[in-house]
Amino acid sequence: MFLTRSEYDRGVNTFSPEGRLFQVEYAIEAIKLGSTTVGICTPEGVVLAVEKRVQSPLLESSAIEKIMEIDRHLGCAMSGLTADARTMIDHARVTAQNHAFTYDEKIKVESVTQAVCDLALRFGESVHDEEAMMSRPFGVALLVAGIDEEGPQLYHTDPSGTFMRYDAKAIGSGSEAAQSELQDKWYKRISLFEAQKLSLRVLKQVMEEKLDHHNVQLAQVTPETGFEILNEVKLKEIIDAM
Amino acid sequence: MDSIAHPTQRQFNPYSDNGGTILAIAGADFTVIAGDTRQSEGYSIQTRYAPKVFPLTDRAVLAVNGFAADGNMFVKKVKQRLEWYRHAHSKDMPLRAIARLIQTMLYARRFFPFYVYNILGGIEEDGTGAVYSFDPVGSYEREACRAAGAAQSLVQPFLDNQIYFNNQQPAPGTSHPVHLPLPTILSIVIDSFTGATERHIEVGDGLEMYVVLAKGRGVQGLEDVRGVQELSVTEEGERIFVIRRDLKKD
Amino acid sequence: MDNVYRSSGFDFSNSIRNHSLAEKGLPLPKATSTGTTIVGCVFKDGIILGADTRATEGPIVADKNCEKIHYITESIRCCGAGTAADTEFVTATISSNMDLHALSTGRKPRVVTAMTMLKRHLYRHQGQVGAALVLGGVDVTGPQLFTIHPHGSTDKLPYVTMGSGSLAAMAIFESSWQPNMTREHALQLVTTAISAGIFNDLGSGSNVDACIITATGTEMLRNFVKPNERVEKERKYTFRRGATAWKSESIRKLIVNEQVTPVAGEAMDVS
Repeated sequence: MFLTRSEYDRGVNTFSPEGRLFQVEYAIEAIKLGSTTVGICTPEGVVLAVEKRVQSPLLESSAIEKIMEIDRHLGCAMSGLTADARTMIDHARVTAQNHAFTYDEKIKVESVTQAVCDLALRFGESVHDEEAMMSRPFGVALLVAGIDEEGPQLYHTDPSGTFMRYDAKAIGSGSEAAQSELQDKWYKRISLFEAQKLSLRVLKQVMEEKLDHHNVQLAQVTPETGFEILNEVKLKEIIDAM
Repeated sequence: MDSIAHPTQRQFNPYSDNGGTILAIAGADFTVIAGDTRQSEGYSIQTRYAPKVFPLTDRAVLAVNGFAADGNMFVKKVKQRLEWYRHAHSKDMPLRAIARLIQTMLYARRFFPFYVYNILGGIEEDGTGAVYSFDPVGSYEREACRAAGAAQSLVQPFLDNQIYFNNQQPAPGTSHPVHLPLPTILSIVIDSFTGATERHIEVGDGLEMYVVLAKGRGVQGLEDVRGVQELSVTEEGERIFVIRRDLKKD
Repeated sequence: MDNVYRSSGFDFSNSIRNHSLAEKGLPLPKATSTGTTIVGCVFKDGIILGADTRATEGPIVADKNCEKIHYITESIRCCGAGTAADTEFVTATISSNMDLHALSTGRKPRVVTAMTMLKRHLYRHQGQVGAALVLGGVDVTGPQLFTIHPHGSTDKLPYVTMGSGSLAAMAIFESSWQPNMTREHALQLVTTAISAGIFNDLGSGSNVDACIITATGTEMLRNFVKPNERVEKERKYTFRRGATAWKSESIRKLIVNEQVTPVAGEAMDVS
């Protein structure tokens, strides 16, 4: 038998002697292959922006869905294996609805993020002799945006089930360049409109194609209208203003 | 003798009625939640001091009446849920969230109910006094006042007349007040219970009145009250007080 | 059947109908019952009877200060527990019959006589007359004390209790009763026994009534102890004049004017 490093790749829950979980690390690597996604928190609300990679001229770009609603006050953008995100967002939606049903109030942004991360850790779990419910870690990272009694918030989750709160965060293939750009340009009192423009500017820098209203998607969560994916007209306005 | 064996039905009745009465009245920026302390079964007094009113958070108090065993277990389960909520969401559960939680907990037992009538009182997030009343399977409503339990039929009409001013025409050119001051409400609560004690055999022994004051409201109306005791830990935020009185013991 | 034979006593012909009505959800009207503590006790010079003063209708207090020690004769009294109407009616009936008996025999009637009349009446009605009684008095044979149950059985004992508070009261007698007690001691014991019922039995309440019967006379101590006085109300509940709503107003003169016109005719002969 080969007694190489890859021995420890077999079980998803097997630590390497150096204390690493390779499958989880690989899953985090998978995100770096995903399209760039940006989230910016402002005092007026939270902005989410994604690059839609249109791989073929025959692909209907409007069918690419990388920003989704969790609840009226919660939105989510993703990067990585977007199919995995569906399971997570389904779980987030059920959690949010259950909370509203049981407590007659909106769930907090942190709580819904926590719920998603609890799910992210359930890989390799099984009961008795039953098959494990999930065989591998999720290969997707999320930016969860929302507003609750503590104001606008932005959270980032990764396949290890870790979540962090950010003022601005970029994930995906262009995330390194995007993140340093955000670090440069973000300031505490940034307006929602400035944040919208900043998010597109950041995307533009890391995108190979020329940015237009077909290959980016912009969403926001505000106290007034809650979660909303900006329509083509509004998106064009911001692109023009940028 | 009848030689044919007939099917016989046997049944176990897990419920009993332990008497007593509870009530709650909401003011503009306070709420009073009260209950007597007698616990009885049939013509016997099981104890002269069994509390039916329980502080849940710094701004919520729950009164439970009906089958005492179910009531105590229900309060225990609500408190457990509040603790879990505190850990999961790092804050105290707001009053209306507790009200909704109680509905879901009661309705979860739709076909083997907790044999209890709940009245929840406290301060809403907007700082107003509030009372929520429930039936045993979870139907609930926010109200200004409610009585429940053995002497409900004696006390509720009295409250309807004195709090809602039912069947009382206002003096010409005036209107009835929407909210009454704290001393008036405390007096009405005491008179409700002394009255119920006079005419209902299951009411008596002791009276416990919890007063929840909204954040920033002074203690005006409580200064002159005999034997008032503060339960809250901090001076800022909502404050809870308890007032105990003796009731007749016959 | 009615025409051929009619038995004496109560008419039970509606009992089957009433039973079926009750099953269909129309129960008989609830009678005022004296869920009660009543006691009797022999002492050196005679008998002391005791009673609480609460009358109930289910869990509601119907009368806070009713009288449960009923008059039979000057030297015989009877405490009643059970259905209020039955205890009141049966004691009043027997009181009348005792008077008649005294008149026809020309003697002071004895307690056993009242006891026998009561038990015959109750037995005849097979428990349908819901009276549980403590009968006591002093006659030519000395102090006498009985209990009579609703079905007609009787006991003759030196200390007795009845009603829903009977166990609470009996607990006091069993621990403290002694033969040949003084009047003061016996009255104290009866008061304690009734108080035990008042405070520990929900069917009993309010005040202590006592009645001391000796060869020299009878002393009715109505409201001997009042340990449950109503406390003063916190507020005054008088209504403002004009608080009642009205829909229409009409004022009429209540004095009727009548014009009397004498008609000519012969005056009545009143001579």
